[in-house]
Amino acid sequence: MTSKIPIILDGDPGHDDAIAWMLAKASDKLEILACTSVSGNQSIEKTSINARRVMTLLGIDAPFAMGREEPLHGEPIHAGNIHGETGLDGPALPQPEIEAEPLSAVELMAKTISASSNPVTIVATGPLTNVGALLILHPELKPKIAHISIMGGGLAFGNWTPAAEFNILVDPEAADVVFKSGVPLTMAGLDVTLKALVFPEDFERIRALGNPIAVVVAEWLDFFYNFHRSIGYAGAPVHDAVAVAALIKPEILTVKDYYVQVEISGDFCRGATVADHYGFSHQPPNTHALVDIDREGFIDLVAEAAAWYGKESE
Amino acid sequence: MSPIPVILDCDPGVDDAIAFLLAKQLPQLNVLAITSVAGNVGLEHTNYNALGLLEFLDWDVPVYRGAAGPVFRKRVEAAEVHGSNGMAGFDLPHTRSEVEGVNAWDAIHQFAVEQQGALEIIAIGPLTNLALAFLKYPDLPQLINRIVIMGGSTDAGNATPAAEFNIYADPEAADIVFCSGVPVHMCGLDMTMKALMTPAELNQVAALGSKQAVFFRDVVQDIVSFMRRLGVIGINMHDPAAVLYAADDTMFKAYPAGIRVETKGAITQGKTVTDLFSDAKWHKNSFVAMDIDREAFVKKVLELMSKY
Repeated sequence: MTSKIPIILDGDPGHDDAIAWMLAKASDKLEILACTSVSGNQSIEKTSINARRVMTLLGIDAPFAMGREEPLHGEPIHAGNIHGETGLDGPALPQPEIEAEPLSAVELMAKTISASSNPVTIVATGPLTNVGALLILHPELKPKIAHISIMGGGLAFGNWTPAAEFNILVDPEAADVVFKSGVPLTMAGLDVTLKALVFPEDFERIRALGNPIAVVVAEWLDFFYNFHRSIGYAGAPVHDAVAVAALIKPEILTVKDYYVQVEISGDFCRGATVADHYGFSHQPPNTHALVDIDREGFIDLVAEAAAWYGKESE
Repeated sequence: MSPIPVILDCDPGVDDAIAFLLAKQLPQLNVLAITSVAGNVGLEHTNYNALGLLEFLDWDVPVYRGAAGPVFRKRVEAAEVHGSNGMAGFDLPHTRSEVEGVNAWDAIHQFAVEQQGALEIIAIGPLTNLALAFLKYPDLPQLINRIVIMGGSTDAGNATPAAEFNIYADPEAADIVFCSGVPVHMCGLDMTMKALMTPAELNQVAALGSKQAVFFRDVVQDIVSFMRRLGVIGINMHDPAAVLYAADDTMFKAYPAGIRVETKGAITQGKTVTDLFSDAKWHKNSFVAMDIDREAFVKKVLELMSKY
């Protein structure tokens, strides 16, 4: 039997973060060593409470630490319009039973990576503030980071602004550090995540599984679907879950390798992820960019993960 | 329907030459003037080539000399693609002269006034002349019906990872044009990278037999070789596609979009930032052509070239 991939979940839950974490916990390919929160979809206070509630709900038994409110440089941006007032509006969630460790997200990451006998993979589904700070403050740990799988960016276009995707726009400087780090990087950007759409028949299938977690997952997706329909999307893009799917079911994803740089300045392009399609920069690729997904295979993955929690409780 | 009065603002340039060949034969267009601008190569070449192309085609259109460089920046050029004289080494006949004493931007305004709002501009080089015209004449936006440009890209560039050459060459000018209030129809790389003609199709054109048809094939051969080294078999007809769009957009797919030009980014200067569906919901000042029916395009080129 092959050993599990040790991972750290770093996110700003967030409906799609929560589903990403749900996939990770249910997978027999991953071992969750730690969870960390980052400011993004909502304030760090709110994403941290949500992270602890989600860990409690899913039964993730790992240390947790809070990130900081501000990006590495500049003012915070939040997405309360998308995820609601709490940052994870929708179904009632359990009171958090997990306490935050008395150290920062960055220091918990560093401690976890140092202590791990195998190189650790970081799944970053929020702004890259914590990961960027880790790479700046602990460069000696780079060889012990196997891989960073991020949800963020877009090769062709943005969502929050025409040029920039939300997670990268919130902390472009941190993203720049991550893309320049030399650590193997998988990018689940808008190119692929806008194809990871969920429709009512999909979340009804999950709701019908009947176990308490499947019902909550269906409620999250229902909430997320209704919001996205109201702003003109065909379905709900479960962005963050793609960054986990890349680790546990890579066969449903199409990958293209590019040298990607982050624009940190400019009138309109701050936070843009710029791919070098024609080799102008004479740099080897630094990013495995996900560009397409087998949607049916993705829905099956989410449904099978939700079903796992029913078997677990039997 | 009477033909559209247009000014062709250009930097010949090999694919500009093909654009001339087609524009002369398009019944939908009445080309009132040619304005030259520095771009693919320097103005001394682009202006000379514009005059030479008209002589070669025996086409009687006045030429107005335009800007020798960008509004605010140093000049960049693409001689490695178009040859040092911009015409792949072809030396065209040279007996004509441009109109003396009238700049391109003054000519644009004069024709716009004369046409009483019906004038359209087809701009297939850097947008310096148009920007200067807008800066000089505040009434100009009300006098131009539409601007069709070859330039920009919603995604990858061809001058840098983010920027297309014509916009990269004068980003501030391009942004002035997008903000002018005149609807801009952007025929950028999203569409023109699909307006490909294969070597076999170039031979089909040449087989029509006229000197113009043979020139069509021969003048692009260096670019065909250049593209082959990049792994592309054939040539992207960037400028000709924009001219055909201006005449008849039925073979194209275009969408309303908000477009601005990045002029300050560290790695994105000259990017045409295009809002098709972001949450920022920019004012839709433009249309962006995203697709072309390639087969119909090639058929139309053959039909037009058979008129020579």
